[in-house]
Amino acid sequence: METIKIAHLYPDLLNLYGDRGNLICLQKRLNWYGFACHIIPVELGEDIDFSTLDMVFMGGGSDREQNLVYRDLFRQADALWVEIEEGMPLLAICGSYQLLGRYYESIDGKMMYGLSFFDFYTEGEEKRLIGNIILETEVTGEKKTVVGFENHGGRTYFNDDTLKPFGKVLRGYGNNGQDKTEGISYKNLIGTYLHGPLLPKNPAIADFFIQAILKRKGLELKGELDDRIENFAHEQVKRMLLGT
Amino acid sequence: MLRKIIAIMLGKIVWFILKILGRQATVLPGRVARLIDRDILKKLSRNISEEIIVITGTNGKTTTSNMLAGILKEKGYRIVHNQAGANMLTGITTAFIKETDIKGRKKHHYAILETDEANVPLLLNEVKPRMILITNFFRDQLDRYGELDHTVRLIKESIKGKSLELVLNADDPMVAHLASDTGATAWYYGFSDTDYDSLESRESREGRYCIFCGHEISYRRYHYAQLGSFFCPKCGYHNPEPHFTGYDLSLQGGISLRINDLKITSSYQGFYNAYNILAAVAAAKLLGIENEVIEQAIKKYLPPSGRMETFIINGKPAVLVLVKNPTGLNQTLHTLQYDKRSKDVFFALNDNAADGRDVSWIWDADVEMINDINYKMVICSGKRSGDIAVRMKYAGVDSERIIIRTLLKEGIEEALRSEGETAYILSTYTALFACRDILQELQTSASAGEKGSKSLSAV
Ligand SMILES: [Zn+2]
Repeated sequence: METIKIAHLYPDLLNLYGDRGNLICLQKRLNWYGFACHIIPVELGEDIDFSTLDMVFMGGGSDREQNLVYRDLFRQADALWVEIEEGMPLLAICGSYQLLGRYYESIDGKMMYGLSFFDFYTEGEEKRLIGNIILETEVTGEKKTVVGFENHGGRTYFNDDTLKPFGKVLRGYGNNGQDKTEGISYKNLIGTYLHGPLLPKNPAIADFFIQAILKRKGLELKGELDDRIENFAHEQVKRMLLGT
Repeated sequence: MLRKIIAIMLGKIVWFILKILGRQATVLPGRVARLIDRDILKKLSRNISEEIIVITGTNGKTTTSNMLAGILKEKGYRIVHNQAGANMLTGITTAFIKETDIKGRKKHHYAILETDEANVPLLLNEVKPRMILITNFFRDQLDRYGELDHTVRLIKESIKGKSLELVLNADDPMVAHLASDTGATAWYYGFSDTDYDSLESRESREGRYCIFCGHEISYRRYHYAQLGSFFCPKCGYHNPEPHFTGYDLSLQGGISLRINDLKITSSYQGFYNAYNILAAVAAAKLLGIENEVIEQAIKKYLPPSGRMETFIINGKPAVLVLVKNPTGLNQTLHTLQYDKRSKDVFFALNDNAADGRDVSWIWDADVEMINDINYKMVICSGKRSGDIAVRMKYAGVDSERIIIRTLLKEGIEEALRSEGETAYILSTYTALFACRDILQELQTSASAGEKGSKSLSAV
């Protein structure tokens, strides 16, 4: 059986609001598709050989933790970027998403630098943006709704208008509560504010990552999973938010 | 003397620090104090001016101690009472440390010490209770490999030769014999025939064997689980005559019953709690508390919401449990692992403000424990029935065994219909009261239906 290796970066620091559910989801779905899945926790100070990985996952964390993570990841950023460019799937939630941009300026003026993979920045504000959220995304090649829960003080703005958001906000706040964009998508990378956790209720996005993982390994995804329960949960939130 | 003061001081400091940190301060202060002064519990327990009461048993000891504490407080007494869960020596020491002054001289009238069965002999080495109350000894929730018989023997030995009173459940063959060969004074409480008795036991019998001769115990009637009117066909062991008898029991919308010349009403639920009330009242009467004070205190005493209330619907027990965060959910799943009966699990997940709008906490709990609880069906309900269903599926529950019924009533009915021996009704805060109402209503109409058919068959 093929084994898929997913790195969980800094699980002790970055794990807010059930984000580990994303890994539970990927692992189970890979198993159901007939693959083994090995989750590799990576702690501060550990050297990572990204070329041996099939995917990277980073959850949300507080400001303090983000700073620690930045310093550790910065020394390995180039190697990570090479893999991203070559199509390695990466999912970064909330604080980790902000880390992919240039900087985060907190409400009291403190600057926290990001990895600058993309030309966007984040500014902290007093009022946190909290609530259920629904987006429309086309990352899978067709229009799909995505549901989740957001809880962030930062507002994220793109400097580079060629950057592609993860989705368009139908209900909720998204990147900044103004321009209806949410998150970022680049090749097989998704950065997003969505907790919930994201993947279990959005099996299309989970499978987007799984497809990308397998394609990169020259493997094929065979068969279909019975997603009735996942879709029910998705529709339940969708109905609640859109009232349809 | 100095050692005692240092022990108390350090214990209090630890208690205070834990409180500031927002942590549970139920065990550690006692542990620290005992390290400094091994006899600290012995010394502090001498400050009890009236009596020390020890309450033990497999089930119901927390509710029984809380009720007895409520009665004594109603009367105006100052008491020392250890917290549920902290019922080993360290937890009991903590309770004394917390209540005493720095010199360790402050007097309290009563101490109510709730403790695990196995802890009783150790406790008796350090404190001198006037009274030990035993609620019941349930075998199926303890170990099946003779652990219980061993514990019972140890308790019996530790009682021998001490001048104390035993308050015993006369309806439990595992408990009623406890005074024999010990020389202790025994007081018994038990029920006369009730409308809720059955002639057949619903529970799969694991065989209740006579403590004296080993023959299988026979029952004339069952009140609740193994509690009932029993006798040994071989040696004649049978219920002792109770000094405190519960009769005229009604479980409709709460509990009402008469105990000797007392009239008791309570908003607790279930036969099981009727036993706890009976036990607490028996102890209070023995301590000389007046009827009016007891009646008043029990009436005022409300069950803490969601603390494992049991309802019986068409003979199937349904246990209501509040779950509101990962820790609580983990604890609940742990408890379910100890109950070996097959069970249907109902889970109502709401996301109203009082529940927390964000339901992602269910992913921070180790729901994977569900695989060890002998479940039949998992019924997912509430406004976020889909979320809990997905969580269950990814925890390893087979999709075939997940039923989604968003409406609470439909979900609860489904759980009661399913084939598990018992149902656990888990609910977040804002669905809890609706769930309780539904269970209460189903219990009432079910028992009305049963009575109806009984009288029909009598015709
Ligand atoms: Zn016998």
